[in-house]
Amino acid sequence: MSTWIKACAADEIDDEDLIRWDYDGQTFALFNTPRGFFATDGLCTHEDQHLEDGIVIGQVIECPLHQGRFDIASGKALSAPVCVDLKTYPVKLEAGCVFVDIG
Amino acid sequence: MTPAPIATNAASSGVKLERKTLRQLGKRSDVPGLIWLAHWVVFLLGGGVLLHLSVGTWWVVPAMIAYGAVLVVPTYALSHETSHGTAFRTRWLNDALLWISSFIYFEEPNHRRYAHTSHHTYTMHVGKDGQMPFALPMTFREWLVELTHLGFYWYEIKLFVKNALGRFSPLVLQYTPEDELPKLKWGARVYLAAYATLLAFIAAGHVWPLLYLVLPRLVGAPVMQMFTILQHAELSEDTPSILDSTRSYKGGWLSWFLYMNMNNHVEHHLYPQVPFYALPGLQKAIEDQVPEPDPGFWRTNYEVAAVVARRSLGLSTRAPSIRQAPHMITEGGFTKISEANMR
Ligand code: FES
Repeated sequence: MSTWIKACAADEIDDEDLIRWDYDGQTFALFNTPRGFFATDGLCTHEDQHLEDGIVIGQVIECPLHQGRFDIASGKALSAPVCVDLKTYPVKLEAGCVFVDIG
Repeated sequence: MTPAPIATNAASSGVKLERKTLRQLGKRSDVPGLIWLAHWVVFLLGGGVLLHLSVGTWWVVPAMIAYGAVLVVPTYALSHETSHGTAFRTRWLNDALLWISSFIYFEEPNHRRYAHTSHHTYTMHVGKDGQMPFALPMTFREWLVELTHLGFYWYEIKLFVKNALGRFSPLVLQYTPEDELPKLKWGARVYLAAYATLLAFIAAGHVWPLLYLVLPRLVGAPVMQMFTILQHAELSEDTPSILDSTRSYKGGWLSWFLYMNMNNHVEHHLYPQVPFYALPGLQKAIEDQVPEPDPGFWRTNYEVAAVVARRSLGLSTRAPSIRQAPHMITEGGFTKISEANMR
């Protein structure tokens, strides 16, 4: 079942960057990358550090605590110390706003 | 919402930085790392030539020390920076240099990465930080063992054998995810095979690996340790604040070249996502929120050595100018806080 929620205005996220978005007791990371907007769980799968202070490198998010890396689009864990994939969420842009399907 | 754990970093230390500045400082590039690498190669070649020319004369002693320092301090720094993945933007370059530098440093890279994660999550937390190489508080004997790196060699030899056999210590199991243990096992096996090959090569009469790799590694270690001992010595354990557990000290070109700016150690622990080349910029950006760096390399080393010697002699451990945790300062005598966990 789809549950589309308006998360933020698209221009709130700088190019090649992310913001934290909290909704209904859950925390997410919203990304603006060269290939578009994406959403993932906000906490790193290694030690639950929030990704909000992480560095976006192209299509990759690097965790701020130990520099584990995930592919932003697929959530795939790319390099140690992360080894569990990140959950991703469908995103759409409508009227200049980012909507996330939190399921 | 699951609360995030309290890792020892900027947030736990009450240090703040604007997102835009952090993003700018955290930007990745291959260029600064390649420039650094070019310097290292040139100095290694130059030092190697001097060492070669000095063989058979007394000049071999200073030449070996100089070459050893130029080999070992940057080896440590590169192995550390690449274990964070921040030395280069290009991932394979990071990983290739992590494996090469860790081979010289004498630590299996997968283990190096995981042990170091615990050092960042729990900086100087007794029983949780997997990289506490000396007992607290440090005595003169502990300082000597640390300076010579003898404790480290012994610890690593045991670790290589145990990990290669798949008999992981409770400490290793504490900081390594279960799924990653086979990587540690195979990494240890590959390295042990490589070290055995190197030894066999030397035993077969080839002197150059002994002269240009093994001996300088041993001789250069105390110089490397003079850089690394300062990182946390005489500061607080079991505190969430990096400002209380970690030391920065003043440094210039030599700290950049030999140590990849890790004299900015407070800044590195606050924001480990900032690469070595941006640490001086980070220092500037947060200088009003962090303690003044301790005096330079020589002065800080001298004061730490004097403090540990005085502690062992039962004298006052108050240092003239370096930062010390209040409980590290006594007027004679001390109570043991913890043992080293890398022995
Ligand atoms: S918490 Fe993200 S890599 Fe460790």
